[in-house]
Amino acid sequence: MMAIRELKVCLLGDTGVGKSSIVCRFVQDHFDHNISPTIGASFMTKTVPCGNELHKFLIWDTAGQERFHSLAPMYYRGSAAAVIVYDITKQDSFHTLKKWVKELKEHGPENIVMAIAGNKCDLSDIREVPMKDAKEYAESIGAIVVETSAKNAINIEELFQGISRQIPPLETHENGNSGTIKLGKQTAQTTRRCC
Amino acid sequence: MSIAEVATSLLRTEETFSAYLARINNVILQPLLQSGSFENSDLFLLLNNHFQVLWGLTEENCRTLKEAFSASESVSVQDVYLVWKADLFLDRYIQYFSTFATCAVLQGFEHAAKNKSEVWKSHKPALQQFLADFSLDASIAVALHTVLHKPFRDQLQQYSLIFSKLEGAAGQCPESEAIADATQKFAKLLSFVSQVLDEACLTRSLWKSLGHKFTDVLCIAERRLLEDSRNLTVYASTGRSDRVLLFNDILVLIQGSNFRSLDLKLVWVDVAERDVGKYALRIAAPEEEFFLLAKDLKARAVWQWKLNQAVRQALNGKRDFPLWSRDGDGSDPPHCRHFSFTFRAEGRLKNAVYDGEWCLGRPHGKGTLTWPDGRNYVGDFKEGLAHGFGIYLVPCVSEDHYDCYKCHWQEGKMSGYGICEYGNETVYKGYFKDDMRQGFGILEKASSTKHSFKYTGHWENDKRSGYGIWDDKERAERYIGMWHEDQRHGAGIVVTQSGACYQGTFHSDTMVGSGTLLLEDDSVYEGNFTADLTFVGKGKLTFPNGFTLEGTFSNRSSQGLHTQGILNTSGEQQDEHMAKLQLGQKEFPVEMRWEGLLNQFLEYIRLGCQGDMEEAFTGFHVQTSKELRKSQEYLFCQRENEEVPGKVDVLEDIIAHQEEETLQSYLERAFQNSLHPLGKLLKALTLAFQATYSTIGANKHLLNMAQEEVKHYAQKIWEVYLGFLHLASERKGQAYAEDLENSGLNGPSAVLPLILPSFYPDLFMLYMLYHEKEDDLYCQGIVDLSQETDVKLLEFLDVRKHFWPLKDLTLTKHQRRSLVKDRCFLSATDCLRNLITTVDPQEKLDILQKTYDEIAKTISRLLGEEFNPSMDDLLPLLMYVVTRARIQRLGAELHLIRDLMDPTTSGGMYDFLLTALESCYALIQKEIQYHQSWHASQDS
Repeated sequence: MMAIRELKVCLLGDTGVGKSSIVCRFVQDHFDHNISPTIGASFMTKTVPCGNELHKFLIWDTAGQERFHSLAPMYYRGSAAAVIVYDITKQDSFHTLKKWVKELKEHGPENIVMAIAGNKCDLSDIREVPMKDAKEYAESIGAIVVETSAKNAINIEELFQGISRQIPPLETHENGNSGTIKLGKQTAQTTRRCC
Repeated sequence: MSIAEVATSLLRTEETFSAYLARINNVILQPLLQSGSFENSDLFLLLNNHFQVLWGLTEENCRTLKEAFSASESVSVQDVYLVWKADLFLDRYIQYFSTFATCAVLQGFEHAAKNKSEVWKSHKPALQQFLADFSLDASIAVALHTVLHKPFRDQLQQYSLIFSKLEGAAGQCPESEAIADATQKFAKLLSFVSQVLDEACLTRSLWKSLGHKFTDVLCIAERRLLEDSRNLTVYASTGRSDRVLLFNDILVLIQGSNFRSLDLKLVWVDVAERDVGKYALRIAAPEEEFFLLAKDLKARAVWQWKLNQAVRQALNGKRDFPLWSRDGDGSDPPHCRHFSFTFRAEGRLKNAVYDGEWCLGRPHGKGTLTWPDGRNYVGDFKEGLAHGFGIYLVPCVSEDHYDCYKCHWQEGKMSGYGICEYGNETVYKGYFKDDMRQGFGILEKASSTKHSFKYTGHWENDKRSGYGIWDDKERAERYIGMWHEDQRHGAGIVVTQSGACYQGTFHSDTMVGSGTLLLEDDSVYEGNFTADLTFVGKGKLTFPNGFTLEGTFSNRSSQGLHTQGILNTSGEQQDEHMAKLQLGQKEFPVEMRWEGLLNQFLEYIRLGCQGDMEEAFTGFHVQTSKELRKSQEYLFCQRENEEVPGKVDVLEDIIAHQEEETLQSYLERAFQNSLHPLGKLLKALTLAFQATYSTIGANKHLLNMAQEEVKHYAQKIWEVYLGFLHLASERKGQAYAEDLENSGLNGPSAVLPLILPSFYPDLFMLYMLYHEKEDDLYCQGIVDLSQETDVKLLEFLDVRKHFWPLKDLTLTKHQRRSLVKDRCFLSATDCLRNLITTVDPQEKLDILQKTYDEIAKTISRLLGEEFNPSMDDLLPLLMYVVTRARIQRLGAELHLIRDLMDPTTSGGMYDFLLTALESCYALIQKEIQYHQSWHASQDS
């Protein structure tokens, strides 16, 4: 018996940076047939083992267009983690990323795990955002960072493994780690037994 | 001996007997009747009548038999009239001897002997001569007695002899059965006669031995002594009783010079417990219970048998024939009897008349109890007390008014469900305990009267106490909150007709201290104010624009509102939260709100849903008596549209439908059936909910209270259901349905959509009020965007060009693609419009999912490949569909779904779908400005 924890993960980033491609790549091999394919890449789930738990990622895509930015809080509400995606070939997208981080810090759920994904690393010859900048920035805000290629399946698994590792195990909540109340509440409701 | 010879001997005895009767007539009866009146002379008149009839009968039969002889030589059984006319003979003899016995009991012969009239005196010598032939006794009275009965008995003996001869003569013939039958009847008649004479003799000597004090009251013509404690010893356990006399109609206990008599029709006899005495009989009668103690088993058995026989014969209204028989109808009297009785003993029932069914000396079954002061109870009794359903009328001081209680009773007290129509035009419908209103109930004064009101809530010791809703119809106000001893006491909310409402603390019916006043324009005042909503004293007023005014307020008549304070115009206080402030959730935790109502049901289950309790509890009554049914009313039942209730055993039924597949339809049926406890519970909760949130209670500040209440109902109803199931399993000796608990079925979530229709109209109204402003903005946005053609709208919403389903369109000659409206994504828009056709949040979510499916289908057809959209693509498409679907009150809809959807699916697909729709709704509210600037940029 392993406990399944449902973790809501929210995808943020400019339109065109490949948010949904990353998710598609991540869940591609283990497509969850329970989910209606018609929502497509907008909402996907995948379950991965982590320690003695199973993490079921409920991945929520968001619209990247500027006009929809104000709606983002409705989507990241209750998220355990946020994957913020930029395109290493577009400096602008990294700029947008910083704005998302700032917003999450201010309005996002407490103790949300943030993971930065520099996508399209297969196109590093036309790179605009240096790896170093991203790493430094991620460090400054305490976020996970990886450069990924959805196209070539580089670092995708690692990205989500990194998130899994950052999620505090259940025991911690029970010991009264007050910093994870939101997450704890979420998971307490959705923890089920699996055979 | 041949039949002819038998007939000859019959003729001979009859002739002798007839001659003898003629002499009695001449020598005794006629002179006696002519001698004028003496004490009890009318009895002789009656005796003479019976005598004449008997004589006539004998004469006539003699004659017919003679004719038969003269007509032919062969006489057959047919001619022996005794066989065919046995019943007639029996009847005549019984009449004669009954009258004779009465004569004997009342000492008629003694009176006759002492007759002083001249006629009689002159006749005496002849009489004495005649009597000497029959009796050696010198006393005329004794002789008369003998002469008037002995020959008749002798004649009956003769008949018996003739019958035995006849039986021998006839042998086996078709008539032998009739002969045997008649023989038996005459044998019975013989023993009847001797019993009657014995009884008469005993009774006569009793009357003679008892003093006048007793005989004056007790001695009546038809009364016979059946048993006497002097004859067969018993003692009565009540005080020092000297003598016990059993008569054919009463049981008498003599105590010194006093006596008590009990009507046998209301006497019950059975063997008493051993601890009372070794050989004791328990005698039960109205207002009376005592024991008869016998010396031995046999004596007790005789008394018990005689008592029971006497009671039964008294109830039958006639004596047995013969009076006592071992074989005949020796059965015991029925336990339940119908009788009218007036209570005499001091106490509650003094001088009350009870007319109805009795058992063991107490009203038991159906009956009517009427007091001299006009009070009156009609209904069920058990062991002397009102128990079951009954109607109790109590006249009020003023004439023509009654308090009418239509109630269930338990051991004499109102208990369980009842309706009470008070003389002062108020009506209570609810629960009682120990004669007091207790638990949940509604008290209403009709709106056509002065000071009309309605209270829906909890009661304790006959008073409003606990959580309750009070409508003051004159002030058009509703109080929602705590009560104590009929007064508003504790936390409370007052909602007014205008839409303003306030929350505060009440003490002895008035608000004390400061409170929060929410005005209809969304200003909020925190501080002191009066019941007329006038600010008085310290307070802080926050305007809708965020300005605040803090200070001391006063209100002098004619001068308006005065204040000294600080006006803060920084607008810092502006907060959505203020305008939508929710009341009552903390003050009235949802678990305690209708606790008393719910507990009533849980308690009912705990006590095992007993049959008679079921009626008392659920407030319906399956009546056989029409009279009661007419006055029956139901609280939670609408009788007019009620299906003919196939009353089923709830527990049986529940067991049969516990499987997950049949559960839903079972629950659905249960909820619709107002006779089912679950249906009853739902009706009661609906009443409570409406009392709180409909009409005046439709206030946006009560939304959270209302929605959490509905969810709580689902939870509790499920608990009640499980309780029933548990009980039913126990009854059946089955293991508790653990399957159900392990199946992963979320009970409350399954119940919620089934009960939601009952609350939906009022609940949705609250959502509409709560979202009034947003829905207005959204509506404006929809109207604005609706003007756009399909192409323009797709363009405005940034839907990617290759998703424009224009090649789908079949256009007429006069239409141009760029100008058509409402033609794209029709399947998806039609689907989304169905959102308002259901109340079930899950069904609404399913509709939502289908809408996405329809969008995807349209695009897939367009692209010729599977559509796997990211949100970048999906959201604009969804915006388009939502805009075109033009659903009214979408904000209210979304909020309702959000509140009532299964909380365990949080974070899942349905949550996502709903969030996407919510984001569209939010966007459309803002779209109007964006749209206008977009137009401006397009135009330039």
